[in-house]
Amino acid sequence: MLSLFVSIPFLSLIVFNIPGKHSTRLALFWSAFLFIAQSALALLFSTGIINPVARQLSRIFIFKLSLDPLSLLLLLSIGVAAFAALLAGNNLFREKSQKSNFINLLMVAVIGMNATVLAADLFSVYIFMEIVAVSSFVLISIQKDRLALEGAFKYMVMSSIATCLMLVSIALIILVCGDTDFGVVASGLCAQSGNPIVKLAIGLFLCGLFIKSGLVPFHGWLPDAYSAAPSAVSVLLAGIITKVTGVYVLMRLVISVFGINPAIQNLLMLAGAVSIAFGALAALTQHDFKRMLAYSSISQVGYIILGLGCATPLAIAGAAFHFFNHTIFKTLLFINAAAVEKQAGSIHMDNLGGLSEKMPVTGATSVIALLSTAGIPPLAGFWSKLIIIMALWSAGNFAYAYIAVIFSVVTLAYFLSMQRRVFFGKLALSLESVKEAGAGITIPAALLAGITVAAGVGFFWVLDKLILPIQEILR
Amino acid sequence: MKLLLLPVLLPVVFALAALVTPAAWRRAREALSILAVAINLACAIALFKADAVFQMPWLGFGMEFKLRIYQFSGFILLAAAFFAACVCVYSLSFMREKPAHKQFYSYLLITLGLTSGAVLADNLILMLFFWEGLLLTLFGMIAIGNKSAFKTATKAFIIVGISDLCLMAGIGLTGYLAGTLNISQISLPITKLGGIAFILLMIGAIAKAGAMPFHSWIPDAANDAPLPFMAFLPASLEKLLGIYFLARISLDMFKLNPASSLSMLLMVIGCVTILLAVMMALIQKDYKRLLSYHAISQVGYMILGIGTCVPAGIIGGLFHMINHALYKSCLFLTGGSVEKQAGTTNLEKLGGLGLKMPVTFICFIIAAASISGVPPFNGFFSKELVYDGALERGVIFYLAALVGSFLTAASFLKLGHAAFLGKISSENNNVKESSWPMLAPMVTIAGVCVLFGLYNRLPLETLIQPVLGAEKLGGHVFYGMPSNVMLIVMTIVVLIAALINHVIGVKIGGSGLKAVDHIHYSPVLIGVYDRAEKRMFDPYDIGLKLAVAGSQALWRVDRAIDWVYDGLIVKVAHFSSLRLRQFQSGYYAVYVFWAILASVAAVIFLLKQ
Repeated sequence: MLSLFVSIPFLSLIVFNIPGKHSTRLALFWSAFLFIAQSALALLFSTGIINPVARQLSRIFIFKLSLDPLSLLLLLSIGVAAFAALLAGNNLFREKSQKSNFINLLMVAVIGMNATVLAADLFSVYIFMEIVAVSSFVLISIQKDRLALEGAFKYMVMSSIATCLMLVSIALIILVCGDTDFGVVASGLCAQSGNPIVKLAIGLFLCGLFIKSGLVPFHGWLPDAYSAAPSAVSVLLAGIITKVTGVYVLMRLVISVFGINPAIQNLLMLAGAVSIAFGALAALTQHDFKRMLAYSSISQVGYIILGLGCATPLAIAGAAFHFFNHTIFKTLLFINAAAVEKQAGSIHMDNLGGLSEKMPVTGATSVIALLSTAGIPPLAGFWSKLIIIMALWSAGNFAYAYIAVIFSVVTLAYFLSMQRRVFFGKLALSLESVKEAGAGITIPAALLAGITVAAGVGFFWVLDKLILPIQEILR
Repeated sequence: MKLLLLPVLLPVVFALAALVTPAAWRRAREALSILAVAINLACAIALFKADAVFQMPWLGFGMEFKLRIYQFSGFILLAAAFFAACVCVYSLSFMREKPAHKQFYSYLLITLGLTSGAVLADNLILMLFFWEGLLLTLFGMIAIGNKSAFKTATKAFIIVGISDLCLMAGIGLTGYLAGTLNISQISLPITKLGGIAFILLMIGAIAKAGAMPFHSWIPDAANDAPLPFMAFLPASLEKLLGIYFLARISLDMFKLNPASSLSMLLMVIGCVTILLAVMMALIQKDYKRLLSYHAISQVGYMILGIGTCVPAGIIGGLFHMINHALYKSCLFLTGGSVEKQAGTTNLEKLGGLGLKMPVTFICFIIAAASISGVPPFNGFFSKELVYDGALERGVIFYLAALVGSFLTAASFLKLGHAAFLGKISSENNNVKESSWPMLAPMVTIAGVCVLFGLYNRLPLETLIQPVLGAEKLGGHVFYGMPSNVMLIVMTIVVLIAALINHVIGVKIGGSGLKAVDHIHYSPVLIGVYDRAEKRMFDPYDIGLKLAVAGSQALWRVDRAIDWVYDGLIVKVAHFSSLRLRQFQSGYYAVYVFWAILASVAAVIFLLKQ
């Protein structure tokens, strides 16, 4: 049953590509339906941990799936973000072939992400991460312009370093434990926790994931990749792809496989705090809208990792909630950036101004997203940050709690300055003829803004249904 | 006993009814008001001998709605009802053509209801509720006066509000110390905290009565507020309420004794108030303003009397309270009569009105004689009792009170001479006597002044002495002529001296108005007076200046904080942001180098653990 999350998109992908004449429109509608269905299923699914019997796909490769509340939340996030990116991409790509390619590659990425989220096997996780990564290299360079190719290349180089590190680590783990199944590996690593090889393996895997998540100082590829990619691809990349392949896998492995110990905790919290500070400060002086969002993304990922590093049940729940919120508001902000780029022809913030007048939906949803990012009540981002900070405080990590609060203010500072430079203030003369972007942009924007507000106002429901069950996986 | 609710609710209900009447229904409003004060007066008379409690649940936590009538509160209730009735009748004529007719009657009735409530309340929080409500009507009644009235109303509001804050703190502290908020159950010794609680409550009480240094709004209100307000609040109701509460706290709630330094404090406040206010009254050139300073000065006698903590003084202080309410409201009413008929209260434009307005003049003479302590009027007897008490505590207090008496007499000789005697100005040739609604209250009150003087046994025996109780009186009786002949002789000597001073002054100055100029312009005093007239000693103005200085200092602190936020932090953030951007140099090899370096560091870190 769980394999349907993977197999149906896979079958769809095959059907899309049967040689012959077929309509992009049908593919679009079917994909949109699939993503909505995935989100709805994730919402309706009974929470709890499902561990079906391993299914042997071949003699050498055991494909084992499992579902727990964290994967469920991820499935929901993937469904929502993919749906938003699909609509935005359909609006933003002009040529039919590009549209078709985009939908196909998006489907590949979704297959990879769903499988990554559901897989309960170290090597499968690695394989699916690579599937996602390959699809995103192509997505970034889909328009084949110079900057995009450069961005894709940078991402690929850094990603391959991460791949090397993770492959070596998996090899070492097989050496120690003899298997790659989560349960077996976890108990094997636990039994030999003093073994330097185990430590080396964990360290290498973590570093690989740090690169994938774009934590400071592993982040070099991230601003270029995000800002060079076509807008619709940045939405997908920043909103969900790097979050699943980097942050989610990091959370999953630390919680279920490597086990939480003070050394890993310290490493994670340090990396998280440095990312928060660096990302927020660097975002302050950016002139490029998408680049600023990229640094903001580094900073927000820092919060998730900081919560993960704190590792109390409350902190994990807070980190997961922030993950979900980050998917929503960062996707929304990148969609807004895409709308601005398309309608105004520039994302250099010095050339913009007063766009709210011409693009009311984009301007208004941008306000909601930035307030949620900065943690202003009652929006969703406030509650997740609050939970993380509360958890840090009650665990005695006061310095990290202070950092989290202070850079929350810096977040507000750079976002308000962005909002003023792009959407408020006087309309620049050259922008007199700008119009609101089409429904393909405004509908997902309004939807995401609605989710942010609803999850904030109804946070107790969200917490109760989706977030707090995540604490169970710590047991 | 539900009848106790009537004096509280009935005036308020009538007031609200008056407030919703259309502006043109003047007579209906007047009828409503007269009806309200009449029923209230009847009710107060009916309740006068009662001893009852009305109780119902209210806010909880010891805050009960508890009204209690007994001898003392019955007396104050009756007095308040009497003055309200007089002022209401008086206003029928006085307020006829005035603006804000509607507000005036409504505020008057609400004030009456709240005063009754504050007098009857047997719970400190309930009393505070009514007491604070009075602050609103005080503001409203001043604000409906002339153009500058709003500023004066604000001044009164701030001064009384600050003292009410002290009262509030005092109530909190008292409730904490006593463990109950019911006034009749509180009996506290004057300890360290108890002393602070007493001082806080006392500030509330004497500020309501208008003692220094909470007085400075009263002379301004005399200029700006409608005149019946002056006769109603600063002259009578506020004195009754303030001194009533002062007596309650010093007699019932705290056992103030002569040995206590708080007794000394009260006496000093009393003497200072007497002297400073009467000095200011002496040189005033406006009928109402002169009276208003006396309204402050006379409070000093009451506070001095109660502060002595000896039976004669306390009886004298309380007797002076009711006497003052009588003669001072009568004096204000004569002032209103003059204002209404002659069109001004500026003494320089008045003169010779005595023959034109004989009834007003006679009422003025009676009331002025009372306030100056001329036997056999009521003020004489209460002042003798206060002197008696003061002398028992120290000659200095007695002398201060006596000097105050001299100056009081001198200033009223001046006032009477300047307003009613002397040459009539040509503009005032056609002045006539006021109409009966204005004369009737004046005559009634003047009559009571004479009655309380000639037959002082009546008020003392029925109203004042029971307050102290038979035990404390120790068999003394205070009615009849004062027993100490020396005191009487001294008083008469002082009055004669005042008369001689007046005659000399008139000779030097040439007119009644200038009768005290030789004091006003004497070498040292002239400088003091000049500064006082420029409001340099007004605590309110000094407070305002301090507030301005304080806010300027805070503004600088605020600038400094702004600089930290708007300047320093922004600069630091910008600087560090630019430094961080240098990491993003564009050389991809550097990024890879950083990532590998960090990986090595992370792995080493994990291996070392």
